[in-house]
Amino acid sequence: MLRASIEFSGEEADLSGIADGAKAGDAGIEHGERLTAFADAAVASDAASLATARDALRQAAGSAVVVDAAGVIGNFERMVRIADGTGIPLDGLVTAMSSDIREELGLEGFESRRLARSAGLAGLLGPALRRVVLPVLRMAGRRKRSGA
Amino acid sequence: MTSFSYPAHPDPVRADLAEAHRRAWRHVAGPGTWLTGAERVAVADETRRARDCGSCRERKQALSPFAVQGEHDHGAALPETLVDLVHRITTDAARLSESWYRQLLEAGLSAEVYVEALGVAVITISVDRFHHALGLPLEPLPEAIAGDPSGERPDDLTEGEAWVPMRESRKLGKEMGFPPGPVPYVIRALSLVPAELRAWKALSDAQYLSFDEMRSFDSNRALDRSQIELVAGRVSALNECFY
Repeated sequence: MLRASIEFSGEEADLSGIADGAKAGDAGIEHGERLTAFADAAVASDAASLATARDALRQAAGSAVVVDAAGVIGNFERMVRIADGTGIPLDGLVTAMSSDIREELGLEGFESRRLARSAGLAGLLGPALRRVVLPVLRMAGRRKRSGA
Repeated sequence: MTSFSYPAHPDPVRADLAEAHRRAWRHVAGPGTWLTGAERVAVADETRRARDCGSCRERKQALSPFAVQGEHDHGAALPETLVDLVHRITTDAARLSESWYRQLLEAGLSAEVYVEALGVAVITISVDRFHHALGLPLEPLPEAIAGDPSGERPDDLTEGEAWVPMRESRKLGKEMGFPPGPVPYVIRALSLVPAELRAWKALSDAQYLSFDEMRSFDSNRALDRSQIELVAGRVSALNECFY
């Protein structure tokens, strides 16, 4: 979804910080570095670094952004456990659309990936599907931004 | 019933988010599909105990989470199978395995109770993590509401796609207003217990995005869509979740 939203927004983004905190910068996304730091501190249990990250994000982006980010953090603490706890595979389309970036970010190496069911051969369709879908997303985003 | 009356400063919480949390707590407290309200509140309580469980801490450090034997630090209200489910989901979810799930079933836990308890546990974890992120004290757990579980069981279950049985994609998609095509697995995951799927959606609409917003790449939040997905992606990666 991150990749799709970036294509739709027309932004240029570096996603390497998603899986590797040491590389986390802004990722080309406004306030990206502070959002990542807030997520990191919220998932860890260090109250001091969390307060610092929260204050920095509030100062840069405002209270409403802090609250929305806390909501997303809470939501995905739930989503990951539903995925891990039910043994669902990756959806075919997601596998196809994300196989290259998943490989690049090292997500395929996660233990939870090994333990989940396989979604089949969807990954083989990836390059062809990406060639079609990503430009369509970019075009839809441009049309929306231009009000067409 | 507790009220989730959030302070106005420094980070005022949106009214729809506070209401979603109230609704989630009512859902946890009420009689469920296979568990009573008291059992469901005990599940919620156990998620909080799990964070301080010495055995879970030791397991988390071990090369294999199943190498460490020993009892969880737990309350008295739940059977051992449910305690193990709730503790592992809370503290080490990325290393759960199908063989562990099958062992719970062999020990007498039903798939229905497994999915319901999972649904309650993850609601509690989600709401608690929101409070933690904002530096707020945890909301007291709700009082259980008396009543009998409904026993609602879908008649269009399929097996073999995930560890747990799930509802057939096409019928579920139609009911939930999805466009033609497969319903994402993460939405079908709790569908064995429809009330947990409904609760999942209600909370997700407020904490993340509604289905319509997901599809349209719109966001009526202070965060734009790329920012939302950046936070979502980072939290998933920190939890070592492949999904």
